Amino acid sequence: MNREALTRRLFLQGSGTLAGSMMLRAGIPAFIAASQAACSANEELAAFDILSKAEAREIVAIAARIFPTTDSPGATEAGAVYFFDKALGSIFADMLEPARGMLAGFQAGVTPVYPGASMFSDLDESDQDDYLRSVEKTPFFQNARLMTLIGVFGMSMYGGNRDDIGWKLVGMDGPPHAWASPFGYYDAEYLAAQEQQNGE
Amino acid sequence: MANENQTQYSLDEAVDFVIIGSGSAGGIIAKELSTNGFKVVVLEQGPFRAAKDFTHDDVSVFLFEELQGGGNTNNQQTFRDDASKVAEAPQRTPAFYAQTVGGSSVHFTGNFWRLRELDFNERSLLGPISGTNFADWPISYAELEPYYTRVDWEIGISGEPGPNESFRSRPFPMPPMPIKSSGVLMERGAKKLGLNAQVEPLAILSQPLNGRPACINCGYCMGFGCEVNAKSSTLAAMIPDALASGNCEIRAECAVFRIETNDQGRADEVMYYDPDGNERSQKTKAVILSANGAETPRLLLNSASERHPDGLANSSGFVGRNLMFNSHSDVRGVFEHPLNDFKGVQVSRMVHDFYETDPARGFYGGGGIDARPFMAAYPLLFSLAGARPEGPTWGADYKQNLEHDFSRTMFLFTGGTSLALDSNNVTIDPTYKDHDDDMALAYFLQDRAFEIMQAAGATHAWRNPIQYQSQGAHLLGTCRMGDDAASSVVDKFHRSHDISNLFICDGSSMVTSGRGQPTMTIMALAFRASEHIMAAARNNEI
Repeated sequence: MNREALTRRLFLQGSGTLAGSMMLRAGIPAFIAASQAACSANEELAAFDILSKAEAREIVAIAARIFPTTDSPGATEAGAVYFFDKALGSIFADMLEPARGMLAGFQAGVTPVYPGASMFSDLDESDQDDYLRSVEKTPFFQNARLMTLIGVFGMSMYGGNRDDIGWKLVGMDGPPHAWASPFGYYDAEYLAAQEQQNGE
Repeated sequence: MANENQTQYSLDEAVDFVIIGSGSAGGIIAKELSTNGFKVVVLEQGPFRAAKDFTHDDVSVFLFEELQGGGNTNNQQTFRDDASKVAEAPQRTPAFYAQTVGGSSVHFTGNFWRLRELDFNERSLLGPISGTNFADWPISYAELEPYYTRVDWEIGISGEPGPNESFRSRPFPMPPMPIKSSGVLMERGAKKLGLNAQVEPLAILSQPLNGRPACINCGYCMGFGCEVNAKSSTLAAMIPDALASGNCEIRAECAVFRIETNDQGRADEVMYYDPDGNERSQKTKAVILSANGAETPRLLLNSASERHPDGLANSSGFVGRNLMFNSHSDVRGVFEHPLNDFKGVQVSRMVHDFYETDPARGFYGGGGIDARPFMAAYPLLFSLAGARPEGPTWGADYKQNLEHDFSRTMFLFTGGTSLALDSNNVTIDPTYKDHDDDMALAYFLQDRAFEIMQAAGATHAWRNPIQYQSQGAHLLGTCRMGDDAASSVVDKFHRSHDISNLFICDGSSMVTSGRGQPTMTIMALAFRASEHIMAAARNNEI
């Protein structure tokens, strides 16, 4: 593997790891980030360790409906699928085979309802939402939701929440997580009023 | 801080004390005894983590219960709400406590209420309650007050006196942590209702103390270890001095399974599994059991022998009985502007106007209400469990609600009394069902919290459903103290009635539950117990 390919592979697999974070802080990554943005979806999907291309495509589609891209980033931009890939080879390794079985069952239900479509990711977004609503009580959906949300909001070392997208989305700036008062609107208002009172 | 530089004692040579558990009580007693010249071995089932080992990793901490032994898949505790049922192992560990040097003082939130005078003699004030073991303590607030003060100054408590608290002999050692938006809103709501929102005392440093730094307001207190040692765990505040004394050896990852007694009926040996799973035993002149309100009675019952067929120290039959979790309920609200309550400590203000039992309410009990972000401190936890009750749990609207609500959410959390019952107990694992009065109190306090939330100006507010508790982080009452050996396990100085060199000090010693924040009291009891144990040892009275 040449150096460029190695670097790219390290980035794709480990941008959330300590090594990845250190690279980001060191400033190297403007270049790598630009390269990454230029990657085609297929090239990215080739970089998974556990998931096949087809599995990854399905998970990207499912996660994108659970936590969609709207006028703000969603599961796709957070790289939630990379959490699935990493977790199913590590912290959730014991879920890999059951998850594959459940995914197969999930996919098998698509064609009877939508003839002509063999995969969930073939459906348009409206049909995807309808189909997910029909299975939202199933263990597969519940697990997919759990993993999508960890992929958006868990620490980036697990593979998702790229660039702390999930945290920024809800108003939390990224690490180092050390703050000073005032923290929010109401305590700022309160302290300002106190200060004014003390000054008078 | 690891084991290699510690004093190491021989297994066969009796040390002065073996302390079982290194948490809120065990950590203090270890420091007190060892710095006063006694030879001490501490056996702790969890690993020896240091501040540098604590992270903000909510996946590991919340989903995998990193600090609690890896979850109930590992712990295999069972639970039932009635002794006639078959106990089963649920997904979440029923007796929820940290397994790490420092115990649950490492992962606690740090709310440090003292008990009040009435907590110690409420049975005399109110009379008996049928079907319960409601009783007075054998000590008063005045007797414990000097030790509360030691906790303030030696463990490190920030705060300022409020209108609803008992007398204190010294002021707080340091000012309160900064007020948060939730605290401001609680003050606003309370004032409109004629209530008093007062500063929450916290076991979190607002100023440096004894070489430890002030809090950096990272927000990761509840459930997490503190990476800067500003949280006043015994790991941060006591264990370093114990080790520096040269008299204390802490054996981490050593799980005790039995206390042996000799022909004279004295505890002389503690059996445990070492980190490699080998059986070991430590000879000792005396044993101090501080393993928490679930593990302490379990160990005593598991130490049954021919001489003690019902378990050690159990001639009264009170070992394991009267388990109390404290009653709880909560209300959540969303406000117009960002509170950003994920920044800073969990709680900055509380209301204690409903602390006392009011017979007019028709049930026993009282408690407090505090304002906090609760799960809105952590984006992952909030995303999993913080969706609006009437709203979607996935899709664009769900996402929009999360984006809006996370920074604008406040919880009002209630903590209150639990009654002591025979039917709530630890035999090997917990059996527990809240008393009717505990449930009535939870609903009552939730209604008051809801009124405060509305008065504070929430745009949306919800009462979270109240359920019978199947998990407790406050493990109280199971080896209660008392003057009467027929109805208590230890005397007022924590010596077991049955075995003169066996002392028990932790949440199990508490006779009543207090109003929801027991650790301050457990620590005060530990300072007091240490003093009496040392005096007895010096007088050859053990």
